[in-house]
Amino acid sequence: MAYEQVKVKTPLILRLLPILSIITFFGTWQLVVDWEIVPSTMLASPIQIFQLFLVKWTEVNPDGALLSQHIWTSVQEAFTGYLLALLVGIPLGLAMGWFIVVEGLSRPIFEMIRPIPPVAWIPLVIFWFGIGISGKVFIIWIGGIVPCVINSYEGVRMTNPTLIQMARTYGATDWQIFKQICIPSALPMVFGALQIALACCWTNLVAAELLAADVGLGFLITMGRKLALPDMVLLGMIMIGLTGVVIGVVINYFEKRLLAGIRR
Amino acid sequence: MVDIANEIKQQVQERRPLTLAMILTNRWFLYGVSMLAFFLAWDMAAVARVFSSGLPRPYEVVLQLWRMMFDPLAGKSLLGHIWASTQRILIGFTIASLVAVPLGLMMALNRYVNAIVKPLFDLLKPMPPLAWISIAILWFGIGETSKVFIIIIGTFVPCLLDAYNGVRLVEPELYDVIRMLGGNRRHEIIQVCFPAAFPAIFAGLQIALSIAWSCVLAAELVSARSGLGFIIILGMNLSRPAMVVGGMVVIALVAWTMSQLVSGLERFVCPWKREIDSR
Repeated sequence: MAYEQVKVKTPLILRLLPILSIITFFGTWQLVVDWEIVPSTMLASPIQIFQLFLVKWTEVNPDGALLSQHIWTSVQEAFTGYLLALLVGIPLGLAMGWFIVVEGLSRPIFEMIRPIPPVAWIPLVIFWFGIGISGKVFIIWIGGIVPCVINSYEGVRMTNPTLIQMARTYGATDWQIFKQICIPSALPMVFGALQIALACCWTNLVAAELLAADVGLGFLITMGRKLALPDMVLLGMIMIGLTGVVIGVVINYFEKRLLAGIRR
Repeated sequence: MVDIANEIKQQVQERRPLTLAMILTNRWFLYGVSMLAFFLAWDMAAVARVFSSGLPRPYEVVLQLWRMMFDPLAGKSLLGHIWASTQRILIGFTIASLVAVPLGLMMALNRYVNAIVKPLFDLLKPMPPLAWISIAILWFGIGETSKVFIIIIGTFVPCLLDAYNGVRLVEPELYDVIRMLGGNRRHEIIQVCFPAAFPAIFAGLQIALSIAWSCVLAAELVSARSGLGFIIILGMNLSRPAMVVGGMVVIALVAWTMSQLVSGLERFVCPWKREIDSR
């Protein structure tokens, strides 16, 4: 096996095209607004959005909270739901993968609830929990638990059967096999679930804040729509995207640190 | 004996005596117990008013669904509302997949297209589709266009991403094979890339479908005069939980049916991706 390391030089044009494409995108956006091809009630230019971004750190009006408050509330809600989803979903998924009784008992219920989009829970949740934080956390939890269960279930099911058979031959009990073979071999899939569940939770945050909220990034968007302020809507969208990326990077970092001992 | 391609699988069944432990660990028995327990718990929670009047009894939900089948609600029967939602999804989903899948394939096959589209796509990707609802309403009003637009936005990302990754992750050995057999670039694309990427594309379509349901419901929750999202929001406004839960049940059924249809299509279009049964 002698692979030769070949250095491929990227042509200049391939390195320039991405930059050009982004510049064209923002340039067109800016010009479309500046020349009023699109009315200003429908679209705000990137510069306006950036100005609003700077102003919102110190200015409470017109939506009643600072940008930092919006972000903090949203992150809090998303993380509570996320952690609860991990706490319930991963053990359930792992147990479903190995213990036939757990699988038999929880699978039909899980399969019934799975096709219902988290958004559809909103009205029922408002009946149950009112419009406080617990309702939002519930919706985020519902959205986050599905990938957790599926990934950890698949992770256990994908355990190399030879290892299980070997452990059986050496007289390991069911519980020992589960603890010492299935769980470690499912870990990469479980860590995959961390990312996917986070994306789900973060997406559902908007759904949770869609109907009833008084602070939060999703609320910022809704408020912007109600006041017909496109710059506020776009700022909210961009902040959600940005915060999501930042959280994703942080989780990715921790995942790498934690997995360093497992991947050889 | 099950015969797949040119492998032969032999199934051996052992006859075991019927014992209580066997019945208790039988999968179908457990499924039955679980369903029964679920509905009993639901009914008891509803009778005991755990959520005050926020939870209807299961039979009330069935009754409500039966009534909605025949009594029109806002001018449409239940089937009409189902069709309204399904129609939006079909339109948005078709447009998005027809644009996104070829674009994803192009991005994976041509690095110039990739260099132009990828950065823009990376910019738009992290925004949750539901966040687009507000801007869609500002742009297109509260009519059908804004709903279809949201579905397109939401389904575009997974369709494109999976088509792209599907081609990128094709095993290099497959290319080596076709090159060794004297194939040119066109053969590589048509005979290796596409068939190998199909399963990934279908996985993307499945994800897109579930996102499409979230999107259409959210859009209908915000503003609509028809559709399943409208039913549950109406149930909330009239404070009739039976209607809300009934709507959710129908959503689950329709969403499940559609995802089954897509996997049926997948089995039809790419028979080479066969199921490997575990255990």
